[in-house]
Amino acid sequence: MSAADLGIAALRVLAPVLVMLIVLPMLQWVERRGAGLIQDRPGPNRVGPFGLLQPLADVVKFFMKEDLIPSNTDRFLYVLAPGLATFAALSTFAVIPYGATLTAGGRSIPLIGADISIGILYLFAITSLSVYGIVLAGWSSNNKFSLIGGIRSSAQIISYELAMTTAAAGVILSAGSFQLTEVVVQQGGSWFALPYRGWNVVPQFVGFVVFFVSAFAETNRVPFDLPEAEAELVAGYHTEYSAMKFAMFYMAEYINVIVASALTVTLYLGGWTLPGFSPSGIVGVLVSILVFAVKVSVLVWIFMWVRWTLPRFRYDQLMRLGWKTLLPLALLNLFWVAALALWKVL
Amino acid sequence: MTARFAFDAAMALAILFAGVMVVHRHPVKSVLALVVSFFALAVGYVLLSAPLIAAIQVIVYAGAILVLFLFVLMLLNVPAEVRQTPGRPIHHTLSAGAIVAFAAALLAVFRSYGASSAPPGPLPANPADLAPLAKLLFSDHILSFEALSILLLAALVGAFALARREGSP
Repeated sequence: MSAADLGIAALRVLAPVLVMLIVLPMLQWVERRGAGLIQDRPGPNRVGPFGLLQPLADVVKFFMKEDLIPSNTDRFLYVLAPGLATFAALSTFAVIPYGATLTAGGRSIPLIGADISIGILYLFAITSLSVYGIVLAGWSSNNKFSLIGGIRSSAQIISYELAMTTAAAGVILSAGSFQLTEVVVQQGGSWFALPYRGWNVVPQFVGFVVFFVSAFAETNRVPFDLPEAEAELVAGYHTEYSAMKFAMFYMAEYINVIVASALTVTLYLGGWTLPGFSPSGIVGVLVSILVFAVKVSVLVWIFMWVRWTLPRFRYDQLMRLGWKTLLPLALLNLFWVAALALWKVL
Repeated sequence: MTARFAFDAAMALAILFAGVMVVHRHPVKSVLALVVSFFALAVGYVLLSAPLIAAIQVIVYAGAILVLFLFVLMLLNVPAEVRQTPGRPIHHTLSAGAIVAFAAALLAVFRSYGASSAPPGPLPANPADLAPLAKLLFSDHILSFEALSILLLAALVGAFALARREGSP
């Protein structure tokens, strides 16, 4: 492997991570201004024009704050937990294709961190590990509210992971591959000829809904943010955290929202493809990246929109929805996709 | 060569943390040590070009079963165990010796079964290709595959029956 290849590989991996870290503060601004818009109030508007520099001020504040570690905590796990949460969130993006294959200088460069054959399984493996960050934070804080938050989180994530994986199994079945580049390419074909090669959301609408709803639960967002329900648990699993350790949980949550949106786009909304668009040359590849970014942004906005519109679920309602509604629907979707595949529609 | 070194390192880590799991006196820490051990095993599977097994190892064991363990331990709030019999050096030495002897015996048995350095059978051309495995699973081994799923269903129904028996109608 030459130096140029190494450099390209590093860039492929680093580019999405860096973009995400840059976008994160902006997302926070969008969320707070959006909340203001929805609740008919200005939102942050003092730092810079339209409050645009507010995220920067917040970052400075996070760095300047005193980093408290309460007594009687398990220090090692207490420090490890926010790192685990951020690590799991960041490493999921490695297998999501964010653009068409770039052909330049005799090389063909797929725009994805690592195009592995078990991409979807890798994603589920890492997301299933992300629960440890929250659970350990709750347990090591030595605080009953934190502990309840951590326990709720583990139960919730295990329950919704099942519905989410079963819904994604429909996509795996129709694509015939775990590889996410393959899943995207298969959605870039004809919408009107058989076998159908358009976006998966059309034949698998039920699966799409189940997957997206479960994604809300997996990322601990309203209406499923029971692990940090501030009305009853103070701040749930991160009650005792301050300064940058708290900010890391915050970052992990936003990265998870981006990753969940990107994954939904990849599995159901055609990834970087558009009907009737075949990327060629550098411009085409740039357009494909833009298409992907726009799709992801729309879903991220839906995440925020829902947060400021819906009330929080009660815990028993959350469990009932997961096990008695979403899981059967996901299974039904799987049967439906299998039938379509049998009739050679997919 | 680097792959070999990485494999050895991962296996050493797996064994080390399996040991930590056994000797640590706090149950939550034991579970966490087991998580690290399982993760190291998954790395080993990847290096043996079995990425599917690695992913399943992480999803099922590290991601689901051990989270359930943690869930139960935290729900019951199990404290660290206190040492039952303080200071019995001869017992400790003897039991440690027994463990080492058992491990050595086990290793000898495995060696005698011809665990040679040559890989068993030809590896598929693309080790990450899942199609051959899927074909095998759903043709030659379809009976055991389906029997296993029925077994799991029976376990599910059994657990449900046990949970519902007391109190509720």
